[in-house]
Amino acid sequence: MSPLGLFKKTGGPGARRPAPGEDPVPTREELGRVPGADLGYRLDPWWWLVVAITGLVIALIVWRADPFLDIFLFVRDGVVVTIVLTLSSFGLILIVGLLGGLGRIARNPVVHFVASLYVEIVRGIPLLVQLIWWYFAAPVVIQAVGTALHISALAEYRANAILLAIIGLVVCYGAYMSEIFRAGILSIHRGQMEAARSLGMNYFQAMRYVILPQAMRVVLPPVGNEFIMLMKDTSLVSVVAVADLTRRGREFMAVHFNPIEVWTLVALLYLIMTLFSARFIAWLEKRRGVGSS
Amino acid sequence: MAEPIIHIENIHKSFGHIHALRGVSLDVEVGEVVVIFGPSGSGKSTLLRCINHLEVHESGLLVVHGIHLKGARDINAVRREVGMVFQSFNLFGHLTVMDNLTLAQWVVRKRPKAEARETALALLAKVGISEKADCYPSELSGGQQQRVAIARALAMNPSIMLFDEPTSALDPEMIKEVLDVMQTLAREGKTMVVVSHEMGFARAAASRCIFMDEGQIVEEGPPDRLFSAPEKERTRTFLSKVLQL
Ligand SMILES: Nc1ncnc2c1ncn2[C@@H]1O[C@H](COP(=O)(O)OP(=O)(O)OP(=O)(O)O)[C@@H](O)[C@H]1O
Ligand SMILES: [Mg+2]
Repeated sequence: MSPLGLFKKTGGPGARRPAPGEDPVPTREELGRVPGADLGYRLDPWWWLVVAITGLVIALIVWRADPFLDIFLFVRDGVVVTIVLTLSSFGLILIVGLLGGLGRIARNPVVHFVASLYVEIVRGIPLLVQLIWWYFAAPVVIQAVGTALHISALAEYRANAILLAIIGLVVCYGAYMSEIFRAGILSIHRGQMEAARSLGMNYFQAMRYVILPQAMRVVLPPVGNEFIMLMKDTSLVSVVAVADLTRRGREFMAVHFNPIEVWTLVALLYLIMTLFSARFIAWLEKRRGVGSS
Repeated sequence: MAEPIIHIENIHKSFGHIHALRGVSLDVEVGEVVVIFGPSGSGKSTLLRCINHLEVHESGLLVVHGIHLKGARDINAVRREVGMVFQSFNLFGHLTVMDNLTLAQWVVRKRPKAEARETALALLAKVGISEKADCYPSELSGGQQQRVAIARALAMNPSIMLFDEPTSALDPEMIKEVLDVMQTLAREGKTMVVVSHEMGFARAAASRCIFMDEGQIVEEGPPDRLFSAPEKERTRTFLSKVLQL
């Protein structure tokens, strides 16, 4: 089932405007004159949860410095790895998803087949297995190919854990993202493409200027959801030699044997990152849903 | 006689089992206003959509503006010359009225933005909604949206305008404002092919009316003759139903 089913087809700007004859809903300007009711400046209340969890972590680190400060200092670089991994993979995932989505709706049978095959295969294999395959199996394949073709650069290939983890994440999430983009593009009424074409735009111009801008608005919620899922799923790379937050937590615990403190702090750190992302996405949605662009 | 601007010769078009166009032939001269009517499913939309290649006909000859559509290398060259107005307006929902009018001008015609804006403002004045330039389509009434759609098509300076039931999604009080704009265009000598059941418009503006049924042109002639004294039984039956409404 498509998660897009939950969202309106083209939540066009000004959609809240009442039809003629309907009861007028107070406008933003009118509300602005009521003290404390100005929607534009009111903070999304869920930000308080981000603040609260962050406060809790700071409190633990400050007042229970042993062991929380030690743990925090130890896993700090893991947090950076997790964030960098998430952001860099996500950028590539958007590109792969856009290409995959366009491929899935392409009329050209070869393009359509390749894109569909990619999605079907990747969707059917657990992410953990894919990551393990890229880290342990792919280098061997590359070396074998290099040896067979006498290309020494490939034959002597050494696995780069971060790079292969990014590839694994991008290949897997790119397939899901393709489906999201495909559904988003298909949710835009056929008449939009026809109108653009009838004005003399070619397929790519119509996509670029008419279809995709409207599809982006539709896919923003599921794309945001993917971002948060990705951030959590990066913890799987800890099994393929990437020193992310989870792996650093495990390394600390292996020495100090304090699972409660370590895993509580690690969980809270993930929570801060995902809650913050969720707020950021909600803010984006609100901004994109109303008015221009 | 000059070359017809649209030359259609015995074209056929099917959708799977449905034979939507069964040998339609039609010539449209420069400056003519042709009004097509007929029962639902008779192939009127399909005919219009073939003219600007939104549908591809299977056999027969279709020449628009001197370009053979079958196997045309640059179909966009034809579409630039043919403006189309849809029943459901199809304005770009993410763009303001102004941007709806200027987008294709600079993407397709490569006009500088200032010039595109000027053209847009002039056309908005012409269709009588200058004050809505910065609104979004969802903020306009149906009649206003359709007038914007007409202006958007005109902004490309097409030599032919196609209208597919431009008023049938509109409330009665908005139909007139759209028909008035179309009538102005007709008076200015724009070549127009209009699918419509607005008999008043046909009488006032059409140089020729065409009755279609089951994928074929059944009868054609000047509106006064066709409406008052149709030759074919099928035309008479259909007209008696429509005129009763
Ligand atoms: N994209 C399509 N796929 C399948 N069948 C189609 C398609 N477009 C049109 N048809 C069929 O072709 C026939 C002619 O349709 P067309 O839309 O041209 O009729 P019309 O005269 O415009 O009718 P209406 O007055 O209802 O708009 C109909 O039977 C219709 O169901
Ligand atoms: Mg139709």
